Amino acid sequence: MILTVRRAVLAVLALAAAGMLFAWSGLFNVAASTGHWPITNWFLHWVMQNSVRTYALATVETPPPLDDPALLPAAAGHYAQGCAWCHAAPGEPQSQIAEAMTPPPPALHEWLAHVDWTDKELHRIVEHGVKYSGMPAWPSLKRPDEVWAMVAFLDRLPDMDEATYRTLAYGEAGTTPVSGDAAFDRALGDCARCHGTDGAGRSDRIPVIGGQKPVYLAASLRAYAAGERASGFMQGAVADLSVETLDRLAEHYASQTPARPQPALDANPGEVERGRVIAEAGVPIDGVPACLSCHGEGRPRDVHFPRLDGQHRDYLARQLSLFREGERGGSPYARLMTAAVHELKDEDLEAVAAYFASRGGALAAR
Amino acid sequence: MTPLLSATQTAARRTLPLALCLAAAGCSGPQSALDPAGREAETVAHLFFVMTIGGAVIWLAVIALAVYAGGFKQRTLSEETGQRLILWGGAVVPTLILAALLAYALWLMPDLRPWTREAMAEGGVKGHVTAEQYWWRVRMEGPGGPVESANELIVPVGQRVDLTLTSPDVIHSFWIPALAGKIDMIPGRTNRITLRADRPGVYRGVCAEFCGESHALMAFTVRAVPPQEHAALAAAEARPAAVTSGEGLRLFLEKGCAACHAIRGTEARGGVGPDLTHVGSRPTIAAATLPNDQASRERFLRNPDAVKPGVRMPGYDMLPPAEIETLARFLGDLK
Repeated sequence: MILTVRRAVLAVLALAAAGMLFAWSGLFNVAASTGHWPITNWFLHWVMQNSVRTYALATVETPPPLDDPALLPAAAGHYAQGCAWCHAAPGEPQSQIAEAMTPPPPALHEWLAHVDWTDKELHRIVEHGVKYSGMPAWPSLKRPDEVWAMVAFLDRLPDMDEATYRTLAYGEAGTTPVSGDAAFDRALGDCARCHGTDGAGRSDRIPVIGGQKPVYLAASLRAYAAGERASGFMQGAVADLSVETLDRLAEHYASQTPARPQPALDANPGEVERGRVIAEAGVPIDGVPACLSCHGEGRPRDVHFPRLDGQHRDYLARQLSLFREGERGGSPYARLMTAAVHELKDEDLEAVAAYFASRGGALAAR
Repeated sequence: MTPLLSATQTAARRTLPLALCLAAAGCSGPQSALDPAGREAETVAHLFFVMTIGGAVIWLAVIALAVYAGGFKQRTLSEETGQRLILWGGAVVPTLILAALLAYALWLMPDLRPWTREAMAEGGVKGHVTAEQYWWRVRMEGPGGPVESANELIVPVGQRVDLTLTSPDVIHSFWIPALAGKIDMIPGRTNRITLRADRPGVYRGVCAEFCGESHALMAFTVRAVPPQEHAALAAAEARPAAVTSGEGLRLFLEKGCAACHAIRGTEARGGVGPDLTHVGSRPTIAAATLPNDQASRERFLRNPDAVKPGVRMPGYDMLPPAEIETLARFLGDLK
């Protein structure tokens, strides 16, 4: 038989038709119960590993320092809520249901010690998930900083003992007040894992929310729930709470007086002074108005403008950066901040964050 | 001649004067360089007419020569005559004409651009205009120091006005077609312009260099008034705001407006956006984009970007309509 173009085309068409016939017949077994053939298993993992490696090279930026313990509590809390059910955790076995998935999700605290994903590759997997495996993407693609916190947590997971994990993920021994409203108590318990019941926050990356304005807190929670403020941590945390519960949580934290130690300020006085000048007078040449016009204390200010005095520096700097890129979101008032800081320079941004962190006030350490 | 053609001709004869009137009407108005109301614009208009008429005469002469050479000229020129023709017609005459026009234009320059120290030291109204995307910051010198305003220039008829011009962001250009200009406003550089209005009236100035999305919506009004009236208006402009308390001002301070806008005599001291101390007395808002009435002010407060794309002011449509109305009324009361 001689190979002609006509015969080759016909053969390809016949193969395609046979494939469609097979797919239509339903004879291919999609059951998870049967697992994959070893060769299929190998091929799928090979494709996945290659893809993660290539896209991590091309799309993931250089990691920030990941040894800061302040990164861990929020990531651990999120892991406990969103990941441990499939991936297990120190002292917490996988769900039997998750084990029956195809492919079965690995128990990460054991498995990560035997694989050699780089930090950038882990970031790629956590941020974008993996098709055909059940691994979801991060709830917001605007927060690579949160994904880095999760990578920092995953880096430590193999060596983490059960007690450390429980403290990181669930906080110190629970002091959740019992209000009689079961939904509220449960939600507050979840919030407290990162924020504490008094809203002081369990690390410098977690904002102080105790003593914050109630309308601002309620609007922020609603914005998270509606997907209008970007955060994988917070969007997941508030997704299934009712509006009433969100408002009660806002009231609860607004009424708190957080007890927290005086933070060790590493800011230099010159930077704080520069921040003070910007807060009081803005940077007119860059079109940046004075922060205190809206965030100053003791004058009539809108209930939607948050208090900043004594807020964590890292948190402030991150939010300012998100505002500047137009990706922070929040209540409709957030657009005022995007307009205000659109041209704010990096060093000025840091100075402003250092200034507010150094201030005494409603949120400050006492 | 057929009746039809005759009818067409009659119609043409009737409509031609009307068409000419309409075309000429397009040359007058508050924003026309051909209807000058000031010394500088008059000089420019004069230069324009001299150049246009000179150009037309030369063009006619050249066309006439071409027609003559192509259609009527029968005998060939001697080589000597040809060379002479090229020398005179191609080099000497054009050089003389262009040199004359250049000399005339240069002779006009000192009036239009008084760059010498002596010229700047002469009396007259002085001020500083900054072009920002997409509005005009106007700071006029007064007896009690500079007075800031926006998007409006008030000048005395018959007196010289010296303006220094800059820009903090991109290149803009200052042009009041009926009075003076244009001259570029360049970041990092201070340009100067002088103007003298000879006829009272309201004129329109524009940005004449593409500066971004809302370049076409970046204009300002110029009010040329008799000197006594100018003194009164300048004094009024220097006074603090007419309204320094009340619900409107409370909202203005509470909602963050004061972060960017100043209202002298109140706590509002923002310097990022236009000074609003006497915004109610200006004929337009949003840099001569909308008339200054309650409906326009409300519309701009709610969604400025829909009026002027790319404007830096954020929209306030999250405020209840009653608060927008109160704010807009308050701004209108700032006479």
